[in-house]
Amino acid sequence: MGKLTDKLKQYLKPGYYDKFDYHWTMTIDLDRCTGCEACVVACQAENNLPIVGEKRFRERREIKWLRVERYWEGEYPDVKLRFIPMLCQHCDQAPCETPCPVAATYHNQDGLNTQIYNRCIGTRTCAVYCPYEVRYFNWFSYTWDEPLEQQLNPDVTVREKGVMEKCTFCIQRIRQAKDRAKDDGRRRVRDGEVTPACVQSCPAEAMVFGDLNDPESRVAKLAKNARGYKVLEELNTAPSIVYLKKVNPDG
Amino acid sequence: MEKINRRDFLKFIGAGGIGAGAGLLYGESTRKTVELLIPQVVTPEDYSPGIATWYNTVCRLCSAGCGISVRTREGRAKKIEGNPNHPVNQGRLCALGQAGLNALYNPDRIRTPLRRTGDRGNFAPIDWDEALTLLGRRLGNLKIKKQGSSVYLLAGGLRGHIDTLFYTFMQALGSDHYLHYEFTHPAALYAANRMIFNQDILPYYDISNASYVLSFGADYLGTWLSPVHYSLAYGHLRQGRTDQRGKCVQIEPRMSLTGASADEWIACRPGSEGLLAMAMVHVIVNDGLYRGPDRNAWLEATGPYTPEAVAAQADVAADVITRLAHEFIRRQPGLAIGGGSAASNTNATASLAAINVLNYLAGNLNTPGGVIFNPDPVSPASPVARQASYARLQEWIEAMAGGGVDVLITHAVNPVFTLPPAAGFTEALAKVAMVVSLSSFMDETTALADLILPSHTYLESWGDDMPEPGVGFPVATLSQPVVKPLYDTRDAGDIILSLAHQIGGELPVVLPWTRIEDYLKDSWKHIYGQRRITADSGGNFDEFWNAALAAGVWGENITREPLRFDGVAEDRIRALQVPPPAFAGEEKDHPFVLLPYLTQAFHDGRGANLPWLQELPDPLTSIVYGAWVEINPATAKRFGIREGDIVEVQTPSGSLRAPAFLYPAIRPDVIAMPIGQGHSQYGRYARGRGANPLEILSPLVDEASGALAWSATRAGIRKTGERAPLIKTDGVTRTLGRQILDDKPAHT
Amino acid sequence: MSISVRDALLTFKTPALIGLVGVTGFIAGYLIDMTIFTDTAPKQPIDFSHRIHVSDNGIPCLHCHNYADTTPAAGVPSVSKCMGCHKTIATDRPEVMKLAGYWENQEPIPWIKVHDVPDFVYFTHKRHVLAGLECQVCHGPVETMDRIARVSTLKMPWCVECHTERKVEHGRDCWTCHK
Repeated sequence: MGKLTDKLKQYLKPGYYDKFDYHWTMTIDLDRCTGCEACVVACQAENNLPIVGEKRFRERREIKWLRVERYWEGEYPDVKLRFIPMLCQHCDQAPCETPCPVAATYHNQDGLNTQIYNRCIGTRTCAVYCPYEVRYFNWFSYTWDEPLEQQLNPDVTVREKGVMEKCTFCIQRIRQAKDRAKDDGRRRVRDGEVTPACVQSCPAEAMVFGDLNDPESRVAKLAKNARGYKVLEELNTAPSIVYLKKVNPDG
Repeated sequence: MEKINRRDFLKFIGAGGIGAGAGLLYGESTRKTVELLIPQVVTPEDYSPGIATWYNTVCRLCSAGCGISVRTREGRAKKIEGNPNHPVNQGRLCALGQAGLNALYNPDRIRTPLRRTGDRGNFAPIDWDEALTLLGRRLGNLKIKKQGSSVYLLAGGLRGHIDTLFYTFMQALGSDHYLHYEFTHPAALYAANRMIFNQDILPYYDISNASYVLSFGADYLGTWLSPVHYSLAYGHLRQGRTDQRGKCVQIEPRMSLTGASADEWIACRPGSEGLLAMAMVHVIVNDGLYRGPDRNAWLEATGPYTPEAVAAQADVAADVITRLAHEFIRRQPGLAIGGGSAASNTNATASLAAINVLNYLAGNLNTPGGVIFNPDPVSPASPVARQASYARLQEWIEAMAGGGVDVLITHAVNPVFTLPPAAGFTEALAKVAMVVSLSSFMDETTALADLILPSHTYLESWGDDMPEPGVGFPVATLSQPVVKPLYDTRDAGDIILSLAHQIGGELPVVLPWTRIEDYLKDSWKHIYGQRRITADSGGNFDEFWNAALAAGVWGENITREPLRFDGVAEDRIRALQVPPPAFAGEEKDHPFVLLPYLTQAFHDGRGANLPWLQELPDPLTSIVYGAWVEINPATAKRFGIREGDIVEVQTPSGSLRAPAFLYPAIRPDVIAMPIGQGHSQYGRYARGRGANPLEILSPLVDEASGALAWSATRAGIRKTGERAPLIKTDGVTRTLGRQILDDKPAHT
Repeated sequence: MSISVRDALLTFKTPALIGLVGVTGFIAGYLIDMTIFTDTAPKQPIDFSHRIHVSDNGIPCLHCHNYADTTPAAGVPSVSKCMGCHKTIATDRPEVMKLAGYWENQEPIPWIKVHDVPDFVYFTHKRHVLAGLECQVCHGPVETMDRIARVSTLKMPWCVECHTERKVEHGRDCWTCHK
């Protein structure tokens, strides 16, 4: 009986791993974020996000892997506006991974929530389960007016109609960083060597990315910050993004 | 096994055969088409396939001059990042800068020179030789007849040696008529800095090290002067130090992007910012918080500006004014800056001067965290003298309308869109004998041209830049092409050099270069000669040049003697007064003040042809693909206006229609509209979309600087009864107790 | 009158068998198409023979495919690389004259890609070459080929098999190869 419960307990671990090789994590400091959306355009450029057009926006079929949400508080003239960038949280207990009937999305050994486009059959179940609403479906095969397609990133697939997509923490950059590390002789990727496009562009340096397993990394230290919290934490999704809440001034 | 009858047997054969056939056909139809493996003809020197090559250059999408690194693969530009070497943006980049590839690969670029055929707006292709000969001959003839001064050159925000090239060219032609015009040019700020600080160039606002930023409408995180640098500084001000967190206060009639990040947002009447600043000066001097020797002069100058008097005019409580004044002085180093409505009313210069005085009284000039005067740019001199205010441009418009302009050449400027029609530019343009545009895009001004000599986009061009505002020490950035030119366009510098050779006479003597790259390289010999730190570290000029190209930037962060400031002249103090703002229109018919505002994506409309930016939800409203009119919710309720109702905005100078948006953080007596949409040209992504608030502005001016007072137009609104629901990405914009912004659910 | 479930189902016996035969035929037809009707050695614009260059003349793979150990893309040599030798060597052969024609017109040779993986796959030659794999492991005995032929399926099971056998680090994680 003990052995059986032990065997069952392994399914409680995120992604069934004893430990992650790298545990890619991001911190977003809401006291630094200005809501400028440079990150949104950087992501669009890096990951071949389609230009869906006005009609699709009207139908709420936009595709923005990273969006900046805004929340108003109070009423004029005592009104406040708060920004929060929202992207795939790469939950370690992701609600989207379990219901995929074909395992097109699963948790890999680096703590990332993966999305494999050509395995996806487009049931859109995962999007329904995601509480952060950060999964986007390709309702159409989008095109780029010539010569905009010359800008497309060759390291990222151009998705076709019928597959889900979402933030990948710029897996192409992580892959490249690991490749470079191997070139240098089998060493680990060092802190700061890989930054997703959004993190790299942020003018206020609000986003920090790195390996939580590396205790010396910036992100590991920031994740322990007293202002740190996770969005919708009560849902027990165990997100990999730690937000640092905005400081309320003394007044 | 029972016997199969013949019929069934045939059915099996048939099924099997059809199935096999279907399988075969399916295999054939889903087979990938044959892919070809195309080698290079000659082995490329500058890249290996599959590995990116990076080029450092300058972003030219706004006047900040951030350095960028462009990732190219197999000769195509893939991604723009900030250049980590550049002191302005230090590896970071804004939304507009990131969208620059949409400009390079825009489907609506002008691909060949064009010549007008028939009515204005119709063009036919023409080849370069013919085009250059056509223009060159005309300019040459004018020069010979000593009528070179009827040639006018209007450029947009050029700096560095390309500006010098243009200037030299015009001078050699015999024309003094070379100006820069940008809607965003802070003419009032320059005038205020001259008035109070005796400075001709913009200072370095050290937000990074400040403890307190008192901003009167300056949208420094979004559009003011150098937003990427200030955002970097803001991040540091907030969480970059362990011993303190800086406080930000924003005073403006409508919450800007910066206002959203402020700790305190205070709604004041448009144009009252300067009055508030004067009241704060009054409090500071009156309450003994400033003890300089010129104290009495300040007391006298600000006598009438008591908090109580100003409170009524600005609609900001007197005790708030007093408290802010005390806080500002006590939490030093602190910065007082002004922009937005403070810089675009009829009292703009005076208002910004009063804000400058706050800095003076706080004693933060030339200290970390304060206003640090910049040294002169390394070389060449800053083209401040050529940056035209609206009033100065009016002189040109008059000359044009009077038929005194034979050739008008425009480069990187779109005055038909950015000037209010009341200025009369479009009508005056019709009287110009030959309008030549060097634009890469068919914008509104270019559509009215007679000859279009399309220049390369900035990613295909040579050039350099000395950023303004500077960063406190000499910096020069190099701009180089990151890809081979896509179309039959030319570098603007090469166009000018070709024209110089076409025209002949003294022009090719003064401008002997045939390639812009050579001109630039020779110009940098000045910079090479001015080096101080690295002057003795060896390296000949070629090594210096190659190193600068590779790094994208050269600078010397040397400690210089702090620039002296001897105080404000007594007569200036006594002359300081901030008149109340004047508006076009009467309150009776036009109960609102119309506030056009710059967005971080479109700026003055230049970003509207970039599809990524049209698709970018506005940070404050989440609206895409359109323009809108912001109305206070209580006001909207009074008028019975719902979101999406099309309203007509009427000013004394015109009217437009746009859907309404209920904006929670705007004064009830103010309406606001984003600038940037409402293009009638400019490509498929921009044209026919939304409305342009600049079109209905009345031509009021800030007399002291000549700047257009674009926040001084009153407006009325009228329901039209039609609806055009706005396209937004937002749903409910309240947290409703959900644990989103905090580790504890908030009450909203 | 009632019938049993079994009897009810048996009325569909023949149509079901027909369907089964149809489906089997479909699968068979598809497999035939994938194997017999697929050309693994298409005719190239120039009849370039690896045998002559590698076996007879001893040119190593990386001499022409010089990017294979430094970049993700092995690449095919530029026309100028071929002309490096063939400006003077074997200029009378008809295939070499074809090459010279391309060079004179400054046109690239439109080789037909024999080893191709789909766009959603990230395959890096450098990593595999530096891991010590001989070219022949995947490309077969190229040095004996007069016309280059694909001898491996290049399909995913083939890749995963090797990744599993050689215990490639994270070699079975989808995101290692899928972009």
